[in-house]
Amino acid sequence: MKKILLALFITSPLVWAEEGSMDMHHHSHEGHLHDTMVNGKNLEVNAERFDKFMEGIIDMNIAIVSVQGMVCDFCARGIEKAFLKDLNVKKIDVDLDSGKVIIAYSKSIEIDPDLIKKKILMNGQNMTDLQIIKV
Amino acid sequence: MGILKILVCTLVIAVNVEARPISYSGGSTLMIKSDNLSNSTYFHYSPSFKYSIGIENTNDKIFKGNKNYIRFTYLLNRKNALSSQRNLYFQSGVDVANKNNHFYGAHGDWETRRWFAGFGYKNVQGKIKNNYENKYLQFGVAPYIGDYGDFHTWLMVKTKKSSLTKNTSTYPVLKFFSGDALIEIGYDNQTNWDLHLMYRF
Repeated sequence: MKKILLALFITSPLVWAEEGSMDMHHHSHEGHLHDTMVNGKNLEVNAERFDKFMEGIIDMNIAIVSVQGMVCDFCARGIEKAFLKDLNVKKIDVDLDSGKVIIAYSKSIEIDPDLIKKKILMNGQNMTDLQIIKV
Repeated sequence: MGILKILVCTLVIAVNVEARPISYSGGSTLMIKSDNLSNSTYFHYSPSFKYSIGIENTNDKIFKGNKNYIRFTYLLNRKNALSSQRNLYFQSGVDVANKNNHFYGAHGDWETRRWFAGFGYKNVQGKIKNNYENKYLQFGVAPYIGDYGDFHTWLMVKTKKSSLTKNTSTYPVLKFFSGDALIEIGYDNQTNWDLHLMYRF
């Protein structure tokens, strides 16, 4: 067993949280909250949850992040804590059911997809898709 | 003794937990464990989600002694999927007072929001007659799927074997967690209480 563990530790190809393929979509969402956005692209998030999140939100940039590996509250909490350290993040919602994280950013800053991806990876999960909506 | 008293005692006395051995980057975790072999208190810090370093105080119930281990846990492999996560960890520890007292091992888990499966192996080295191995398997199901922030419950079955006691015991375990806190409670006629508490900062 000792040899097996040693071999495992030394020789195994160390595969970290793999960086999956990622698609990014940017949308102008002119104040209307529907399942289908103005450009015909489906909003890939639970509409009811999204509407609730958007209550009271005006003049912000919204990032909808698809995340793999979020299976429990500890994963969700880590992601929430990581993003809330950023003063430009005004609100965040983690939906474990759909694997989506919705983040409301100040309008004054441009959302940086690489930074979002890095924060998700630092928490041990993978970002696979990102939609940005301006409201 | 009531459950509450046992839990309070477990928090006060020493303990070692295998679940979630690495936090998110910059996170710290306090783990407390009590079973038939030892009580231990383990605090670790994770500079990265790939590894954690920490210190563990153990009170050995068999050999009647205290040890303070410097611990290192390393994530060998993680596979994230849309609705599951699989992990394989290497764990090790060295007694601060005597480096001949050390342990190493591995543990892994696969988890969805409904199902859990995990295993662990630990080889403890000490004085010549004090070497032993612990192994366990654990399976669980969540009777309901809670949203983030809800109170979560898991019904589990654990089988463990120690070369020290030469016993194999299989017993039910209840796991609850809410917010940053987690508690596992198991009971077996042979090995009595198996308690894990964890708090993540």
